[in-house]
Amino acid sequence: MEYIVKTENLSKHFGQEKAVSGLEMKIPKGEIYGFLGPNGAGKTTTIRMLLGLMKPTSGRIEIFQNDLKQERLNILRRVGSLVESPSYYPHLTAKENLEALRKIVGVPKQRIDEVLEIVRLTAAGDKKVKGFSLGMKQRLGIAASLLNNPELLILDEPTNGLDPSGIIEIRNLIKSLPSECGMTVLISSHLLSEIDQMATTVGIVTKGKMIFQDSIEAMRMFAQQSVLLKVSESDKAWRTLLGRGMKAGLDNGIISLPEQSDENVAETVRGLVADGFSVYRVEEERRSLEDIFLQMTREEQAG
Amino acid sequence: MMGKLLSAEFMKIKRKGIWFLTVLGPIGVVAMQMVNYGVRKDYLFGQNDDRWGYYLDNIHSFTPLAIVLGIVILTSFMSSIENETNAWKQLMALPVSKMSVYLSKFTVLSLLLLISSVLLLLFTLAFGISLDLGGEIPYDGLLKYSFYPFFAALPVLALQLWAAAVSVNQGVPITLGIVGVILTYAGYALPDWLIWKWPLLLNEWEEPIINVLLGAGTGLFLYAAGMIDFVRRDVK
Repeated sequence: MEYIVKTENLSKHFGQEKAVSGLEMKIPKGEIYGFLGPNGAGKTTTIRMLLGLMKPTSGRIEIFQNDLKQERLNILRRVGSLVESPSYYPHLTAKENLEALRKIVGVPKQRIDEVLEIVRLTAAGDKKVKGFSLGMKQRLGIAASLLNNPELLILDEPTNGLDPSGIIEIRNLIKSLPSECGMTVLISSHLLSEIDQMATTVGIVTKGKMIFQDSIEAMRMFAQQSVLLKVSESDKAWRTLLGRGMKAGLDNGIISLPEQSDENVAETVRGLVADGFSVYRVEEERRSLEDIFLQMTREEQAG
Repeated sequence: MMGKLLSAEFMKIKRKGIWFLTVLGPIGVVAMQMVNYGVRKDYLFGQNDDRWGYYLDNIHSFTPLAIVLGIVILTSFMSSIENETNAWKQLMALPVSKMSVYLSKFTVLSLLLLISSVLLLLFTLAFGISLDLGGEIPYDGLLKYSFYPFFAALPVLALQLWAAAVSVNQGVPITLGIVGVILTYAGYALPDWLIWKWPLLLNEWEEPIINVLLGAGTGLFLYAAGMIDFVRRDVK
């Protein structure tokens, strides 16, 4: 498989603290790679190393099959990025901000209007960035990262500070990039739901170590969603389900069904209704990232 | 790459008051003498038969202070452009080498100071002529007093730029700057090896050109050392 980004045993230490240790990241071409981890897990440190902003303590980074150390400038020509909180020049307008960057990356002037259009900032193009809301600044940062038509786009928490409609817009934008522009996207987040809706491949990092890296489907299997049922006479209903040989749990009057297909859930509900129970609620248990972490680390220890 | 970076840098210093300061510096220096000569022209004319030379000496009494103060303020403005929202990381993730980024900052600052020096020359000349000092206009002295301090102050520029570029806490370069301005102010009483004294163009051999050569040489050395350190560090 062709990997756009590949790290080997990547480590970064700050004194005694090991921010990243032995990280092996592999991003296949054309994927949206969700880089997931709690705050302080080493996501931003990794991204900074991928962009050459930080020097690794040890290990190797290959981007576009070239060594980052030797080919940094040639690689960065084909990379767009937004790292941490958006950077901008507050005393300049949005257009001037992009112009200052455009001069360096050397793309035609009309590209500024194009990227402003993409992030829907055209109307605010001639306003000073000083007066922008956080969401607008974030969009400007995304616009800046798209300026050079990158083949690899690296976005560190790109939906920070956006309102719900902004999040959806940016999400749709990111989803469309691989097919429309042939980009590979690396996107980091501490929110599973965020990654869940965009990524095709996932890497989970905690305490500087990669604990999981595979397709999103594989992670969903791992995450094992369960369906919760709130019914009348929950105790009796639970026994009925057990009597049918189903795996079910009872917790605080709520019945939980581990990993069920849609048909199975429908079957179960039909059965309960037929047996005279009232079904008040059927809901999916959304596992938080923490739950999955706990599950993964627990299984790691057990394995 | 330098051309692109420089045009981007000049774009970024818009509306920061940097151009205003560049012009204000030389105006300030000459304005001091406008007051001086305005109040006691006859007395000053009586002090020395070489009225032009005496006038240039008076002008030069404020130039070193203005140039060191100017360097401190300009470098702090320049670095505030990148520091304010930590735009260093955005800039450095572009296909540019860290060396050229550092060089572009240094070049822009040097150009601004050179422009100030040219303006100082023009204002000095204009006010000198309007004073009707008589005799030949000493263009040699005029050039010397306008441009020598710039070269002699290059080490201070290199040092301030480095401090501003690598400090997370901008209090460090500002403190260094204030100390520098005080040292320049007290320069007459200080030993020759202090770089802050050099813009005064004083040394024990009484050869101002020594300060120029020393300034350019030491400036280059401090610039290179600062750049190497800047490149070596992780981006903030």
